Amino acid sequence: MLADKTTARGNSSQVRAGSVRRQFRRPLLAALALVFALRPAPAKDLTTESRLPFLHNIPLHDAQDRVISPPPLLSDDGKPQEPKASPYSTAKTCGKCHDYEVISQGWHFNAAHGDVKAGRPGEPWILTDPATRTQIPLSYRGWAGTFKPADVGLSDFDFVTNFARHLPGGGVGEPDKIDAADPQMGRMQISGTLEMDCLICHQSTGRYDHEGRFTAIKGQNFRWAPSIAAGLGSFASFRNAGSLADQWRPGRAVPSTLPALNYDRSKFGADNNVLFQVARRAPTANCYYCHTSEAELGDARWHGDTDIHLRAGMACVDCHRNGLDHRIVRGYEGEVRDRSVSEGMMDLRARMLRRDDATLSEEQARRLARRQLQAELGLVETLSCRGCHESGRFGSPRLTHKGLPPIHLEKLSCTACHSGPFPASGPAAVHTSLAHKLGLPAPVRGKNTAPVIIETIFLYGADGKIEPCKMVWPSYWARWKEGKLAPLLPAEAAKAGTFPKQDNDDVPRDPYNTTPLTDAQIRQVLASFSDDPANGQAAFIAAGKLYRLEHGQLVSEENAAAKPYAWALAHDVRPAAQALGARGCADCHASDSPLYFATIAARGPVEPANGLRKGMWEMRGDDKTVASVFAFTFHFRPLLKWIVFGAALIVLAVLAHYGLRGVGAITAAAPAKKSPP
Amino acid sequence: MNSRGKFFYGVMCAAGVVLAVTGIGTFALGKPPMTHWVLMAHVAAAPLFALGLAAVALTWAGCCVPGADSPLNAPAKALLWVILVCGLVVMLSGVLPMTPLIGASGQHILYLTHRYSAVVLTAAILLHLPVLLRRG
Repeated sequence: MLADKTTARGNSSQVRAGSVRRQFRRPLLAALALVFALRPAPAKDLTTESRLPFLHNIPLHDAQDRVISPPPLLSDDGKPQEPKASPYSTAKTCGKCHDYEVISQGWHFNAAHGDVKAGRPGEPWILTDPATRTQIPLSYRGWAGTFKPADVGLSDFDFVTNFARHLPGGGVGEPDKIDAADPQMGRMQISGTLEMDCLICHQSTGRYDHEGRFTAIKGQNFRWAPSIAAGLGSFASFRNAGSLADQWRPGRAVPSTLPALNYDRSKFGADNNVLFQVARRAPTANCYYCHTSEAELGDARWHGDTDIHLRAGMACVDCHRNGLDHRIVRGYEGEVRDRSVSEGMMDLRARMLRRDDATLSEEQARRLARRQLQAELGLVETLSCRGCHESGRFGSPRLTHKGLPPIHLEKLSCTACHSGPFPASGPAAVHTSLAHKLGLPAPVRGKNTAPVIIETIFLYGADGKIEPCKMVWPSYWARWKEGKLAPLLPAEAAKAGTFPKQDNDDVPRDPYNTTPLTDAQIRQVLASFSDDPANGQAAFIAAGKLYRLEHGQLVSEENAAAKPYAWALAHDVRPAAQALGARGCADCHASDSPLYFATIAARGPVEPANGLRKGMWEMRGDDKTVASVFAFTFHFRPLLKWIVFGAALIVLAVLAHYGLRGVGAITAAAPAKKSPP
Repeated sequence: MNSRGKFFYGVMCAAGVVLAVTGIGTFALGKPPMTHWVLMAHVAAAPLFALGLAAVALTWAGCCVPGADSPLNAPAKALLWVILVCGLVVMLSGVLPMTPLIGASGQHILYLTHRYSAVVLTAAILLHLPVLLRRG
C-alpha cells in the first residue's frame, strides 16, 4: 500500500523506500516501538515560550507527512544517486508545532472565507493587461467598487495563477477539497495546492527567492514553490506541472509520476534535519515584498525618506502584530468593530483555561475564552496612531498639536496630515507591490505603467473624517445590456475585438504599452466587437467614463460603473515637522491648497484630456464656495488674533484698574474702622 | 449712560447674539462641531464682539463701580463685571488655541472653558438686558 502511494507521489520516495528502509528497518522499528511506548506529547503542544528564537533545526515533511530524506550520494551498489525527493510541505513541516489551521484564519489567507468582516476597504488586486488596456480591481472581500473574481468570470485557479506572485499561499490557493471534475481546479491534482508559505514572512536570512517562487508558480509548480523559494533545491524536470496539467482532462487519470525536487544536499545535516533561520517577528524587509508603496518612481527612488517609525528603529510588526490566528492589527481607529474572535483562538484559549482549571467543562471554558478574547480585542485600538501616541506606548511622543484647534482632530484622521507624500500641487502616480509586481525584476516602471494608481486623494472615511487615499479607475471592455455592464476578461476582449497592436520597434522604449487609446481607436475597437444583440452592446470603461457607439459614433459619459476605487493609505508617515499644517494654516486653508483645490484627473488608457476631471472638494462632495470663502477668511486670521488679543488686553486693563482700586479702597477702609474716633 | 456707551453695548450684544446662535445653537440644536458658514459667521462676529466688549469696558466700568453715582442698580452693576470677566475668558480661550503656545490637552481644556464661559456670558447678558431696559 505504501509502495503504491509512493509511486503516485513521485520517484523520490521510491529511492528513499529502497535504500533507507533496507538499511534501517530494524533500528527504525525499534525506535518506533520506543516512541509509541513513551507516548510523548504531540508536537503541537510543545512550545519554548521564550523570547529567544527557537533553533529551527527540523526534519522536512512532504505532503503525505513523510520525513524527507534524500538518498545517499551512492547507492548500495556504488552508483551515484541524485538527491531527489518530494517537495516539502509547510503544512506538514511547520504545522508540526504551529497550528496551521488556526494560522489559516489570518487576514493574509481568509479573504475568500466569507465568514469574516470585510473591514476598512484596502488595496485590491488589480487584473491588468496592457494589450487590452484592462485594469479591474478585484477582491474577495466584497469592498464596494471592487469585483469579486467570480463576478468577472475569473476562477479561483485563475486568480491564483495571476496573483500568487504576491499571495503568501493558503486561501483560494489551498481549497479544502479539489474538485476533480472541475477542469481548472482539477489541475491542482497535478500542480498541487499553494500552501501558506510561512517563510515568505518569517525567514530572517534575506535569502528567500521570490523570483524563483514566481517562476515556479508561473509554471504551476505550486507544490514545489515553497521548497524552491527556500533554496532547498530546484525543480527536477524539464516540464512544468502546468504543462503536464495541460494534457489532463476531467475523468482522466492523474499522471502517476510527478517531478521530484532536486535537493541541495548541503541543506541537510547529519541528523537529516534542515536549519531554517526564521523569526517570530517578521522582518520589515519581508513585509516590503508585498507592501512597498513607492511614490518616488524610477531613478527618483533615492529621494524617499521611508516611514518615520522605521527610521526610529521600529518594525512593521511592532504595531501590525498578531496572535496565532494571524489576524494582524491593521491599525486604523475603530478597527475593533471590524474584528471578531476567531474560532481557532477560542479553541486555543479554551484548552489553556481547562489546563489551568480542571473543573471547567468544555462549554464553560469556551464561554470564558470568548469573553476573555472579546475583551482583549479592545487592545487593538491601543495600536492605532492615536492609541499609541496618546498612551506613550513604545516611548512614542505624546500628541501636542500646538496651535491646532481641536476641531481638526474631530474632522481629520491622523494620517490626513501625517501620511503619504506631502501634498504638492496635486495627486501623482504611485507604484505598489501588489499592482506593479514590485520585488520582481522587470523593465523600469513609469508613471503611466498600468495600473495607474494615484495618491493622495483626501476623502471622507467611514467615520466621517477626512483621510488620505490611493485611487484607481477601472478600465475594461464590457457588454452593456439592460443597463448592466458585464466586464470582459482580457482574453475574452482580445478574442472579441481587434486592438491596435504596439509596434515591435516601440517595445524597448515602452515595454508596458502605455500609449493611450485615441477616440478613433476606441471607436474602432468597439466597432470590431461582433455585433451580437443577445450579448448586449459593446462598451468601454476608462478614466471615469463609459464609451459606447451610438449610430456608429463614439459617445462617452460619466457612469457609476466607471467610478474610481479608493482605499486609505497610512504610510509612509512623515515626521511632525513635515505634517500638513506644520508650516501654518495655509497648508490647508489657502485658495490653492491641494486638500481642497487640487484637480484630480482620472487616469486610464485614454488620452489625458478625455478623462474625467474633478476638484478634490468635489470628490468629497464638499461645497466649493464654502471652501473658497473659508480659505479667503484666513487672510484676515492674523488681524482677528490681533483684534481679540488687543480687546482682551483692554478688558484686562480695565478689570485690573478697577480691581486694584477696589482693593485699595478696602485696605484704606479697614484701618479706619480700627482707629479710635 | 451716554449714547456712545449704549452704541457699544448694542454692538456687543448684536455680535453676542450671532456668537450665541452659531455657537450654543449648534450644540443645542445642530450637529457639533461648528463647520462651514456657521463657523465662518462665528469667527466673523468674534472680533466685533471683542471690540464691543472692550469699548463697553472703557465706557461702562466707571459707572459700575460700587457706590458710583449712576442710574444702574447694584445687580446691573454686578452683572456688568460678570460680563467683562466672562468675556475676557471667552476671548482668550477662543484665540489662544490659534497660537502655537498650547498643546492638545491644553487646547481641550480651553475649548471646554470657551464653551462653558460662553454659556455663563450669554446668561449674564440675558439677565443684564432686562435690568437695563427697566432702568431706562
